Order: sequence, then C-alpha cells, then structure tokens
Amino acid sequence: MRKDPEISVVVPVHNEEENLAILQAEIARSLGAVGRRYEVVYVDDRSSDRSLAVLLELQRQDARVRVVGLRGRSGQTAAMAAGFDHSRGEIVVTLDGDLQNDPADIPLLLEALERGADVAAGWRKDRRDGFVLRRLPSLVANRVIALVSGVPVHDTGCTLKAFRREVVERLPIYAEQHRFLPVLSAGSGATVREVVVHHRPRRFGKSKYGISRAMRVLVDLLAVKMLASFSQRPLSYFALLTAPFAMLLVGLLASAIANADRITHDKSWGNVALLSTLLVLMLCVYFLMLGLLAELAVKASGMHRARPHRPLAR
Amino acid sequence: MRHAAVTETKPAAPHRSVEDRSVSVIVPVTAPTAQVREVFLALSAELERLGRDHEFIFVFDGVRGQAWQEAQSLIGPRVQVVGLQQSFGESVCLSAGYEKARGRILLTSPQYVQIDPAAVERMLAAIDAGADFVTPWRHPRVDPWPNRLQSVLFSWLTRRIIHVKVRDMNCTFRAFRREVLDDMHLYGDMYRFLPALAYRQGFRVQELEVRHLREWGGAGLFGVGVYARRLLDVVGMLFLAKFTLKPLRFFGALGGLLALVGLAVCVEIGVEHWLYKAGLYNRPIFMIGFLMIVLGVQIIGFGLVGEIIIYTQARNLREYRVERIWERPDDGDRA
Repeated sequence: MRKDPEISVVVPVHNEEENLAILQAEIARSLGAVGRRYEVVYVDDRSSDRSLAVLLELQRQDARVRVVGLRGRSGQTAAMAAGFDHSRGEIVVTLDGDLQNDPADIPLLLEALERGADVAAGWRKDRRDGFVLRRLPSLVANRVIALVSGVPVHDTGCTLKAFRREVVERLPIYAEQHRFLPVLSAGSGATVREVVVHHRPRRFGKSKYGISRAMRVLVDLLAVKMLASFSQRPLSYFALLTAPFAMLLVGLLASAIANADRITHDKSWGNVALLSTLLVLMLCVYFLMLGLLAELAVKASGMHRARPHRPLAR
Repeated sequence: MRHAAVTETKPAAPHRSVEDRSVSVIVPVTAPTAQVREVFLALSAELERLGRDHEFIFVFDGVRGQAWQEAQSLIGPRVQVVGLQQSFGESVCLSAGYEKARGRILLTSPQYVQIDPAAVERMLAAIDAGADFVTPWRHPRVDPWPNRLQSVLFSWLTRRIIHVKVRDMNCTFRAFRREVLDDMHLYGDMYRFLPALAYRQGFRVQELEVRHLREWGGAGLFGVGVYARRLLDVVGMLFLAKFTLKPLRFFGALGGLLALVGLAVCVEIGVEHWLYKAGLYNRPIFMIGFLMIVLGVQIIGFGLVGEIIIYTQARNLREYRVERIWERPDDGDRA
C-alpha cells in the first residue's frame, strides 16, 4: 500500500470535456516540479457530455488521479464537499475545471501555507471577464463582503484556494458556502492569506454564473457575517441588529413625550409617535427572543464545544 | 442476519450488475377493511407466473380488524406481517417494510387491487432494463372528477417544483430498487413524493402507463381537510426543496419585500406630511406601512435563526450521493 498523498487537488467537474486533458497535464507539470506526493480528485457532477469518459481515461493513465462520480446533479459546492470528503492529503487545493485558473499558481499557494497561513486564497487581480456582467458585480460583492466581515479579501469567487485539512474538516460546507470559506475560517481563528494568481479567459465551454448569482451572494452575506463572527454567540449578533431599532425607539419615545401635550389636543405627531414606539419596542423584544432561540440551537448542536475560538495547532 | 445485510451494502457499490431479481412486496394497511387476501392472490399469482422469487410484507398502521385476521392466516415463509402499535402514517409503514424486506426490488402496493396486476411484468422489466424507480401512470382513470382534478393539480405542482417528469404522483403502486430507500428517512407524507425524492437523489425514474381498475372508497370525494393537507404538503415541499440550506433566501426575500413596501408607504406619507401639511394621525395607512416594516424585519430575524440551525446541523445534511469511485486498487485502502 502506498503512503497517503501530502497534497490533494480537488476539481469539481461539470461538462468540461475539452478542458480536462489539458488541465490534468498542467496540474501534473506544476506539482511534478514541487516534488511532493499528490493526488488529483476529480468529482464528476453528473456531466451530460463525455467528461466522465475523459476522466476515466486520465485515471487509467495516471494512478494519482481518482474520480468520484456523483449520483445526481448536486452543484459546485456539494461536488467540492464530496472532493474534500474523499481526499486524503494534509493540504487540499481546490481548482475550477474550466482552465480559467492556472495550475502553475498552485506552488505559490503551497508556499503561503508553508509560511504559516491556514488558508491561501487566490486573488485574480487581473481578471479576464466581461466588466459589466462579471467583474463589476463581483467587485461590489467582494467590497461589501470585506467591509461587513472585516476580513480583507478581494476575490471570494476565485476557486483556486489551498487549505490545511483541519480547516476544511472544521467548517461545514454546504449551499454556496465555499466562496465564503476564507471568511468563515478567518472567523473561527484561522490565518488567511491572499495570493495573486493568473486568470485566463475561457477557452472551451461556457460560463455557468451570471449577475443574479452576485445578488444572491449579497443576500447570503447577512448570514455569513453571523456565522463567521457570531456562530458561538448568536445572541450578540441579534443584539447588534437590534441596536439601531433601540435607538429609533429612544428617539420616538422622546418625540412622543415632547409632544405629549398635543396627544390630547392636536392629535398629530405625538399620537403616531406613541404607536410607533410600541411597535418598535415589540420588534426589539422579538429580536432578542430570536437571539435566545439561536443560542439554544447552537447549544443543542454541541457546536460551541466542538469548535473553540483559538488559533489552529500546528 | 440483519447486520450481515447492512455491511453488505457498500455505499459506492455499482448496484446495476446485481443479478438478484427477487421482489419484496410491501403493502401498508391503513384500514381494517383492506383487501389483504385479494392483493396477495393477485400479485403472488403474477409474480409466480414471472418466475420471480418473492415475499409479501403487510405493514398494519395501527389498525387490526378483518384485514389483520386475513393477514394472520396468510403468514408463511413468503408472508410477513408487521403490526405498528399506533398509526404512524404510510411513510413509516414503508420504512418498516423496507427494514424487513430481503428482495433487491421493492414493489409497493395499495391495500386493494387498484392496478391491473399485469402491469407488474412491464414494471419489473423496466427495472431490469436499467431504471431505478418505476412509477405508474393510471391512464384511463376510473374515479370521479374531483379526485382526478386534485391528483392532476398535485402532480403538476410537484412537477413544477422538482422538475421531474411524472404525470401521476399519487399512485402508490410502485416498483424500485431497494437502494432508493437506503439513504432516505421517510416520515410524514413523504411517501407521496417518493418518485420526486428519488429523482432528486439522482435515481433514474421512469413512468409506465398502467390500467386503472378501481379506486378505494368509490365516492372519490374526500373531506376538505384532505385537500388542505395536500396543499400544505406541497408548500412544505417547496420550502424544503429550495431553501433547506439557505433559509435566509426565503425569509430574507419575503421580509425584505415587506419591509421595503412598508418603507415606501411611510416615506410617501411622511413627505406629504412635511410638504402639504397632510395629517399623519388621520391616515391609518402610515401605521400600516410602519407595521409592515416591523413585520418584515421580524421575518428576516426568523431567517437568521434558520441559518444558525442549518449551520450547526450541516454536518448531518450531506448534499451529495456518491455513485462510484474509480481509483487504482493499490492506491489507498479500498480493495
């Protein structure tokens, strides 16, 4: 029996028949130069073209290639989770199957991990996509993500990333969470470093994302902020969200009192302010109750014990 | 013996090459007047004719009575009877039957002869030909129109949500490989959606036209409660199918929309108030707008709680099913 590989490259694949042979050759060249034991785990997410046949051919040629076939179309994140679960290396590198990431950049990521990072995230500084439909939404989304999460990331959408195994094992990967992995892992105490990587225009096949995706990412952000920074103590997050309403409450109350004499006579603002005060009060109380409920969910899951907030052990 | 069977089914085993063609018939019994003997006679004759190794499992959903007596008299090497202590619903009956079943192919039947047993031959042939799940389409239907209408609507809605091409989701005369139930925890009314659930897990679902003999109860008109429950099923299904992992997308969209509309109303009334000195107190719409904001924000709060619950439980919600792994035998632990 061979020893386990040190590096696992995980590639989710969906309809990339023309790209795969080139990609595998590039990965082999890039990692061959590094000189460490590696494996490449291709996860075929039920491609409808010849991707699986191409992968099996690659697997016959190279013992380091493993192919995981999924039963139903599960999406990129699920495919990636499957790849993580079936990889064995101490370092897991993720890569797109569409050749837009350059496998020659993998050594740069590995170097970043060697210098102490837990997560090395690719940053496509010079993107080769359309500006309005692809780059602008991404730019806005990333700015907001960085601002809200407090983690200075520039390019959450880049699939080219390298993780220490502890990181991927500690974080649940579901829905479209993979793009937030650096943010989430930073929230749980990991060191995240960005590495500038190349970006190549698409050669074959067609792009699978669009602008609606960027919008959804922004919606997800509200949750990611909570999960990244407050997953151990959601009550604090709810309290934080309640703060602006509490201020509104104070303002309304003050205004109601200031106009108290007019409630009976003028029946103008004071009346409305009083009613609004009650509604906002209700909202604040409800929000704190929801926060308590969230605390309950965290405690019931036992997660508060399983994932202490401290730097990873090396 | 059960344990041996459990370890035998490896997750990534290529099940299509299995030569075992045995059939387990599972019949959930929910009424004491069920026609246990008729079902047994009709199906066993057909399976005998086809030369299939078969067994019957009658699962009594808390009911006993006449049907129970009939089933007891049938018990033998090929007939098992399972009696649940109380009524848990057909989904749990199905799970209980699956636990007992030894066949590679499961055939579920309603508690009366609803479908021409001759359909069994074509259904099993379809499975031998590579389908994982065969669901019937009662084509010329024999039941009254209200029944048919609700069935058509239900199937249409489910189709819209899950995008599975099944015209008749309601008929429980189904044949499928036992692997379909391996990873599924059935509860509530999930048995109704079984073809859709199997499809979502990546199984090959095939529809076959069958001859409809008759419908249980005859009259065909259910109480209002039955229709209301069907509708709730579909709504719950929609929610679970689309938003299980991202509850905030549902609650956020709903709450955000509500809050935005409320905000627009309040701003509009406020502007009128400042500019034209229009009253606030005598315009209830202002308060309604304010209420909408509050409600919207609360709904978003619910979404956040949902996100926390999913995040903490996500380890148990595997989103993918592995069909097969290809790797060198010498490379790793799998032989």
